[in-house]
Amino acid sequence: MDKMQRKRVGAFLLDWSAVIAIMISIIFFTAIMGLSFFSSANLTNILRAMSITTILAIALTVTLACDGFDMSACTLASCSGYVFMACYLWYGLSLPLSAVICVIFTMIAYLFTLFLILVCKIPDMLATCALMFVHQGLGQWFTGGGAISAGMALPNGAMPRRTFFEAGFVAIGQAPYIILIMFASVIFAHIFLQHTKQGTFLYAIGSNKTAAALSGIHVGRYRFLAGMITAVFIAVGAMVVCSRNTAAQLCGCDNYLMSALAAVFVGKSVGGKEKPTALGTVLGAGLIVILENGLTLCSVPYYILPAVKGGVLVAALAAVYLPGRRKL
Amino acid sequence: MTAKNISIEFPGVLALDRVNFTIHSGEIRAVVGTNGAGKSTLMKVLSGVYPSWSGEICVNGKSVELKTPAEALKLGIGIVHQEVDSAILPDFTVFENLLMDDVASDNHMIYRRKALRRQAEAILKELGIELQPGMLAKNLTLAQKQLLLIAKEVHKKCRLLILDEPTASLSMAETQKLFQFIRRLAKEEHTAVVFISHRIGEILSVCESCSVMRFGRITDEFPVTEHTRTEKIVEKMLGRVADGREDASGEHSDIRENPVMLEVSGLCDQKNSLKQVSFYVRKGEIVGLAGLVGAGKTEICKTVFGAEKKSAGVIKINGKEVILKNPTDAVRHRIALVPEERRKEGICPSESITFHLCVACLAKFCTCSILHKTAMGARARAAIKELLVSCRDEKQQIQFLSGGNQQKVIIGKWIEADCDIYILDEPMQGIDVGAKQEIFRMIKSLAKKGAAVLYVSSDISELLAITDRLYTLYNGQITAERKTAETEEQEIMYDMIGGNHG
Repeated sequence: MDKMQRKRVGAFLLDWSAVIAIMISIIFFTAIMGLSFFSSANLTNILRAMSITTILAIALTVTLACDGFDMSACTLASCSGYVFMACYLWYGLSLPLSAVICVIFTMIAYLFTLFLILVCKIPDMLATCALMFVHQGLGQWFTGGGAISAGMALPNGAMPRRTFFEAGFVAIGQAPYIILIMFASVIFAHIFLQHTKQGTFLYAIGSNKTAAALSGIHVGRYRFLAGMITAVFIAVGAMVVCSRNTAAQLCGCDNYLMSALAAVFVGKSVGGKEKPTALGTVLGAGLIVILENGLTLCSVPYYILPAVKGGVLVAALAAVYLPGRRKL
Repeated sequence: MTAKNISIEFPGVLALDRVNFTIHSGEIRAVVGTNGAGKSTLMKVLSGVYPSWSGEICVNGKSVELKTPAEALKLGIGIVHQEVDSAILPDFTVFENLLMDDVASDNHMIYRRKALRRQAEAILKELGIELQPGMLAKNLTLAQKQLLLIAKEVHKKCRLLILDEPTASLSMAETQKLFQFIRRLAKEEHTAVVFISHRIGEILSVCESCSVMRFGRITDEFPVTEHTRTEKIVEKMLGRVADGREDASGEHSDIRENPVMLEVSGLCDQKNSLKQVSFYVRKGEIVGLAGLVGAGKTEICKTVFGAEKKSAGVIKINGKEVILKNPTDAVRHRIALVPEERRKEGICPSESITFHLCVACLAKFCTCSILHKTAMGARARAAIKELLVSCRDEKQQIQFLSGGNQQKVIIGKWIEADCDIYILDEPMQGIDVGAKQEIFRMIKSLAKKGAAVLYVSSDISELLAITDRLYTLYNGQITAERKTAETEEQEIMYDMIGGNHG
């Protein structure tokens, strides 16, 4: 009896470890830093910093829901960023048109990823790992090896059509719009995954591909759908990053991969659901950013932060894969 | 070698019950029995896989401990399992596979490829096996892999060789070659060979004696001579004429006039395991498909359901030809499949009961692809009550249900989807007696409501209990068609083990 109870308490703590970790870190940082951490201004800071990680993590959530995997999501986001900025600055297209072209480009690029995975049957991990380098190389070829920002010449020496940013462009990357975009993405993904037929099918595929196929679910078709949705979120993430940096920096999105993965896996451990969910992903992104923010305030050097993010990812993976965590 | 009073108990079942088994060197002994009779369990005890047996085992008159495979090896007991692919290293050559155990146990730092190859050539030559030592093991045919593994056992100085269904996937010619080799092995090397097979014809041609197992006991032992008849062995495998058949013929007398709902003709698959399979199922009829493991039952189910590609043949539903490229097409034509391997293919373990009950007809529960979760929950609760699924509530993950309850949910999934044609592949595997009766009732009521049911199984008593008509399958071919009410267990068994096909 005692043992059973202890086991149940252990499972509970493990299931909600992400939430507990968030609360502990909030209390901890508040205790140390006081109001410079626990203030509405810093809350906005945290939400703003969360946005990009969350949007890219949502992209990964959709892929992971149907047991896919994408290591190349963030390198593709960098490429989408180049295309977006090139359209906007180099060719002087309007902001909405640039955005549409960016989304379409990302979807087309993602078709190639899906071709490798669904048609060539290369395991996701390997295919996207290889694509990561393809994206990096092709992207830099496109930009001529440099960033794309206002006032800089094209690789062929021509001058860009547009030399300054409109207010609307800059606003995308600032509060409150960046936070609203994040919440819109999360709400859309939540409704899609939890409350639609298609989302349910994605989870079915993620749970057992063969059983899903034998229930009449067209596995290839739904994985394709998941890929296209992932592509849209990648494009959104890319545009937000560009606006935030007011430039398409070289490999500007690549570093978000680890935070995004950590967010998804932290989310996967939440509530013992053992599957990636939109809300779980938000919690995961929140945990990572709160840690980053708090540690920065405590003047921990920035170059140590990747170790913290990596540590969160390791802990989340342990919580997901720890043996014998089956409930009673 | 003698084994006395061997018993072994697994949770809930006495798998072997005081078995006595003796074999002399140079003897080729057949062990036969129906599925689950305890053949494989006995062989695993003899090869040291199960340590928890009780009784006594003597080799050459001396009592021995036999608790691990390594001890079995030391005593010269070798076993070749049915699944040869799990025992070979596909990317290594024949000679490396053959001598891998030596390489693993010797103390040389350097891998002496040439010396090994020479040694392997000598062994193969001595045994008279024609294999290219340099070939990669993955390029061998099944029969060659089998020979390779046998050679490996013989090389380890094995005195007792156990072959668990070695011929299940071999062609006639390959089988003959294997038999020649076994005979020579017994005669020249004085190796004792235990031969497990479902094919009585093979046993008659190669074995000298035969042990019959039933319900974990050896019920009979006799020498095999030219006068031994197939019928006699079949009778002994089944014991008394036992069939718990319910008298259902009166109820179903009108089915014969019902229209044919599913008609399959000339079906072949791409792996060549089906040969021109033809059958039909009428509306309201339960048709059985009897066959042993490896006869092609699952292949038929999956090919009809579109999960595996067919290479020839026509599938007609209600008289119209349909093209089923994938399971989605099949579901659209209201065909349902309950797959054989429930855990691997039937369930999405971490999803809820509600999910499983509604997944095949989710379109019913949504407007513009937004789900009505309350409607789904209500429907699931109703279905759980109707199908007598015992569970905590409809939100419980399916992996925590018992096998029988999982199976009820899987069948329930298709009932909710309102299917017309049900293909059930070994639906009673691993299901306890109580749940079995309830699932039987479910299947019968499906047929009564006008569905066509194809019930695929290797268990004859199940088939006799529930079907109206029966096909038997042997080696990818339909060998017989019978009315269940007019047939006997022996006849079906006879067809299943290829009695007519030598």
